[in-house]
Parts: sequence; structure tokens; C-alpha cells
Amino acid sequence: MILTRCLPLIWLSLLTVCAAGRTLHPLPVKGPKTVKLQLQTSRPYNIAHRGSNGEIPEETTAAYLKAIEEGTDFIETDILSSKDGVLICFHDCILDETTNVASHKEFADRKRTYDVQGFNITGFFTFDFTLKELKQLRIKQRYAFRDQQYNGMYPIITFEEFLTIARDAPRVVGIYPEIKNPVLMNQHVKWPGGKKFEDKVVETLKKYGYGGSYLSKKWLKKPLFIQSFAPTSLVYISNLTDSPKVLLIDDVTMPTQDTNQTYAEITSDAYFEYIKQYVVGIGPWKDTIVPVNNNYVLAPTDLVKRAHAHNLQVHPYTYRNEHEFLHYNFSQDPYKEYDYWINEIGVDGLFTDFTGSLHNFQEWTSPLPDTSKSPRQLLSQIASLVLPYAKA
Amino acid sequence: MGFKYFLPLLLLSLLVANCASRPLYRLPSEAKHATKKPLQTSRPYNLAHRGSNGELPEETAPAYMRAIEEGADFIETDILSSKDGVLICHHDVNLDDTTDIADHKEFADRKRTYEVQGMNMTGFFTVDFTLKELKTLGAKQRYPFRDQQYNGKFPIITFDEYISIALDAPRVVGIYPEIKNPVFINQQVKWADGKKFEDKFVETLEKYGYKGSYMSEDWLKQPIFIQSFAATSLVYISSMTDSPKLFLIDDVTILTEDTNKTYAEITSDAYLDYIKPYVIGIGPWKDTIVPVNNNRLMTPTDLVARAHSRNLQVHPYTYRNENQFLHLEFNQDPYLEYDYWLNKIGVDGLFTDFTGSLHNYQELKSPLPQQQ
Repeated sequence: MILTRCLPLIWLSLLTVCAAGRTLHPLPVKGPKTVKLQLQTSRPYNIAHRGSNGEIPEETTAAYLKAIEEGTDFIETDILSSKDGVLICFHDCILDETTNVASHKEFADRKRTYDVQGFNITGFFTFDFTLKELKQLRIKQRYAFRDQQYNGMYPIITFEEFLTIARDAPRVVGIYPEIKNPVLMNQHVKWPGGKKFEDKVVETLKKYGYGGSYLSKKWLKKPLFIQSFAPTSLVYISNLTDSPKVLLIDDVTMPTQDTNQTYAEITSDAYFEYIKQYVVGIGPWKDTIVPVNNNYVLAPTDLVKRAHAHNLQVHPYTYRNEHEFLHYNFSQDPYKEYDYWINEIGVDGLFTDFTGSLHNFQEWTSPLPDTSKSPRQLLSQIASLVLPYAKA
Repeated sequence: MGFKYFLPLLLLSLLVANCASRPLYRLPSEAKHATKKPLQTSRPYNLAHRGSNGELPEETAPAYMRAIEEGADFIETDILSSKDGVLICHHDVNLDDTTDIADHKEFADRKRTYEVQGMNMTGFFTVDFTLKELKTLGAKQRYPFRDQQYNGKFPIITFDEYISIALDAPRVVGIYPEIKNPVFINQQVKWADGKKFEDKFVETLEKYGYKGSYMSEDWLKQPIFIQSFAATSLVYISSMTDSPKLFLIDDVTILTEDTNKTYAEITSDAYLDYIKPYVIGIGPWKDTIVPVNNNRLMTPTDLVARAHSRNLQVHPYTYRNENQFLHLEFNQDPYLEYDYWLNKIGVDGLFTDFTGSLHNYQELKSPLPQQQ
């Protein structure tokens, strides 16, 4: 019996001998025996921006596991590449801010300066290190005012490892990977067969069974949004996969890295008319949707309205609990900020560093319909909802 | 009809001719007491610490009105005195951190050094300024990371003005005044007839009709807690008013200003037994109830249990939204802190700088039963 189990494994391992890492099969103990709790689709998405990085260093396994525990709908990540073409989860193209590379004397001579989106950046770049070397580093918390106790504990993870975290979760958890800095990646890393960075991203997703248009049966089993600041990358992969894509939009002063278009251009009605064939939504920086002056929000722009008119979802980034990031209208209260964006502006998803807080807010103010209640329980629930409005 | 009200008014105004300010009567437009929504008493009290000072400069009229708007059960204040013996709402004995005194060149020569609770303090002290002079100053936001846009706009208010804010509110709002630094005030200010600071304090409350023990009919109409770090002051006034009193407890290293007792002493079983006939509860600094190490909470002490076993309420101070005040367990989320203190530790009231957030939390998690 053991032999019959081994045979397919041996066969498969021969097939994948060239891959940088072997396919990570679901652990037998986590096999698909029970029906997983479905993705909720009745209220705006709670998107765990880089995992629960308010508490645990960003883009680590622990940060993603915590986010899932805290109730996130989607775990979000940024895909970059190592020198040997392995896709990794990492936000910055340099390792300086979020790893202990500075304490690795053996890498001291790897410091470089490159042009990234028109700026000269100096540091230790991910694509100057093989995966093996990257795995020797440890992640640290980016912000000094967040918990520092996990610094040096967790390694960088690969895209595949990230996908298994979602796959092995006890309920259906979506993923939200970003094709990050594709122009830079394609400049510095070459893959065999003339494949590009975007090809490898989609390849990996397909290997793990991701596919299907938004809200299709296939998609609901493995929810996915592919995001990027580079519209050409999204257009390019639209031939390779029907998974829903989201166009990220940077600050008003930043032109797109691939097409050099301005904020005004890519948020115009004409552009929405064009891009909506390829994406299901946009992901703007929240302070461009509602401009800010002296740390107070001003009147909202019509960006959300126009996007919605084109049937484009809006998933702004990034919501953070710390008062440094909260505008004065919100009285240093992150729940007030959630309330404003969900109920007044009406967005469709929120990238947050504090998954737990957003989950709390949504559970308290818009709990999901509970389909497990008996008719009697439902009646008493309705009664308690109606009671406050009963005339005295 | 106007005459009926005019005569008693005239009489009273003659009686109080000597007072620094006239009693502030409830505005006729606000006189719908019968229909005022009562104080909630079914969940821990939301105590607006110095008003809603997370948003507006502390202890100003707008800060208190915002707190009432945001749902506070009680508005809290600290009572000090001016040079001419007028009771004012101000937290610090000096004006440096929360007013624009530095911009008032006419007062530049008023800087002094006094000993306050065993420490030498230099600054502009409230007791060196008449009320008229204090009223020329503008309050400013104490913390630089809070909204600075109201700096210099609002004046210091008197105890009387503070009380009228509560009485004029559209619902029943309690007051929570502190007999602040009584040792220092009594050293620096003398009142007529040998009256002390504590006497004037209670006199003001009586003038506005505050009376009645905790939960009595009188008390529910005009709820009040009188707080102080000085136990002797509370004991002293206990013969003058049956309003409920709360004994404040400072950090573990600070001695009481009037009796020089240590934290260990005043939180001992023996002391709690002693103070219990005089007070309704205690108000400790929250980091002494649950000690902190490396910004993480340690095991809670048994202070709350011992207080509760003596039927003493616990109203800790102070809850603030900003991440530098939140211990790491709370993930920079003030609601998680409220959750911990209300549901795990089980306190009876919370002094918060962010009235709105606490109110939100309580409304979401423990909404009040609607009246039929």
C-alpha cells in the first residue's frame, strides 16, 4: 500500500526536478474532508495588507496566519523575485527596511544603486540574492512604534509558501498578490524559455488551481484578485488567466511605471472605459479619493462614484490604527475611519494593517446573516432588531 | 407672567451681590426636566476625562459639550482656585502646558517656584492670577499630536460655568469634579470666614442643588461623584454632603499629599476597610491595577477583587486612543483595551480622553435596553 502511495510521488518528483522548489501538496491531516466556511461576499472585503502587520512583521507566515485567525477575507502580498528567479513575498525592492541584512557581514558587498521608477535607490536588492541567501535573512517590523518582539524570528517566504497558507486555512481565504515592480524585475531577472515575470506569476497561480472569473463557482472556491500598478502587466496576463484583476493607483504626483501616464489620465472616464475590459476594480491611495488638508479630510472627489458607474470596485489602501495615520475628523479612532469609508464613501474593500480591528468593526455593525439559526431564533432576532424602533 | 419670575430673581441677585459671579440659572429654554433622558446605570460609566480632550483642549466648555454630544455619562473636571478665591476648572496647578500664558507679556513677571507635593515646580500658577486675569488667557491642546486648531480660542471656565453646562444638557449628565491639590490650594488661598477650599467646593455644589446619596432620587436627577487624591478632604466633607465620593490613587511610587502614605498602605485591606464608610469607590491609575513590563501587560493584581468585595466601585484612569498609550496586547486598537477592562477586569467606570470611542464601543457591545 505504501508503494502505491510512493509511486505517484516519485513520478511527480522526477517531473519537478528542475523547479526551484517542489510542489507543496496539502498536508493529509488538512485534507478536504469537511466543508469549508465560504468566503463572505455580502459586505466590503477585509483585505489583510501584508498580513496582520500591525502586530507581526509584514509578509511573514505568522502575519498571514494571524490575519486568517482574525477573520480576514483576503491575505494580501507583493511578489518580487530572487536572483535565481524564485518568486518571493516582499514589498520593498530593497531588503534594508524590513530585514536584518545589515547584520549579515557576508553580504556587505552586495549594496547597489539602481534606477527604480525614475529614482536612484541604494540598498540591498532582492534580485541580487539567490533564494538560499534570502532565506538566511530574518524579517523585522518596519515601524518603530509597533511590536518589535518578533524581529529576527521569521524568514522571507516564497509565493508558493504563501499560497499554501491560504490553501491550508480552516475556511476559504482569498489571496490578493501584487505583480510588484514588473518593469524592474524584468530588467534584472531572466527566466528560461523567454518567460517574463508576469508569466511566472500566472504559472504559479495556475499550478495551485487558481482560475475563474469573479464570483464564478471556481473563483469562490479559491478567491483571488491580481493587483498591479502597471496596467500593461494586467492587460498582458488577461490573455493567460480570467482571474479578476485590480489596477492600483498611486499618489497624484506619480506616473505609472510602465506607461508613464499621470494620475489624471488613468482616473479619467475615458481610461476607465478602456481599462474596465481588463480589471474588475481599482485600488487608489485613500488620500487621493478624499483629499486632506492640515490633517482634516476635505470634500470627497467623485472618483468612487465614477468608478462605480463603470462597474469598477474600489479597494483603497491603507488603513492603519495609529493616530499618526488617522486624520483629525476621526478622533484618533480607527473605527470612525472604517465607518466613514464603508458607510459614507461606500468602498468595496479595504487594505488594512489591522485585520482584527476591521473585522471587529464589521462584525459589530454589519454582522453576516447567520444561516445556522432555527426559525424560532430568527424570529427572536428579528424582534430584537425591531424593538428599538417600536413606538413608546 | 414675567413678573412672577422676576421678583425671586431680583431678590436672589441682591443676596449674591458680593459673589464673584452670579449663580447660573437653568435657561428657560432648557427647562424641560421632566422629559430629560435619565442617566444610564446598567453598564459601566463613560467618564469624559477633562471633557472630550482627545479632540478639543481639555476642560473647556466646547470639550464638555462635545463629550455630552458624544454620549458621556459624566463630565469630569479638576477644581483649583484663582488668586481671588474663585473655583476654576483646570488640571495643572500651573498654566504653562495648557494655556497661551507664554504669549502674555503682561504676565511675564508672575513666574514663581513653589513646592507642590514635595517637588519644586516653576511656572505660572493659577493661585497668582485673579479670575479676571485668567479669563484673558486661551486654552491650548496639551498634546502636540492632537488637533491644535482650537489653541487660544477658548477660555478657562469656572466651577459654576462647568455645572451649568451639565444642567443645561438635553439629557441628564452627571458631574465628576475633583478637589484638586487641596493642600497646596489651602496654603496659597484664603477665603473669608476661615472657610477652606473644601468648604467652598461643597458650597458651590449645594448652590446648584447637588445632594443625595448614590442612586437616590435626588442623585439620579443630578448625578455627581466627588473625587480626590486627598482622603482627609473626602472625610472632611463627608459631614457636609451625602453625595458619593471617590478616592483617587496615584502611581505606586507617589505618596498621598495630605497623609504621606504609600500606595501599599492605601490599597491594603485595612485601609480599604477604613475608607469604605466615606467613599463609594476608588480611582486607581490603570497601570497599577494591571502592571506593565516592556509595554506588555503582566498578571492583574487583586486590587479590583478586593475593592469589589467591599462593595467599592473601581473607576480607573486614563484611557487614550493613541498607540503610545496602548499596550501591545491591544494591537493599537483602543476598543480592544475597552474590551479587556470592561469584560476581563470588570471595572465600573472608565476615565477616557475619547468619550466618543468608548460610547461607540459600549453601544455596539452592550446597547442599553430600549424603554418601552
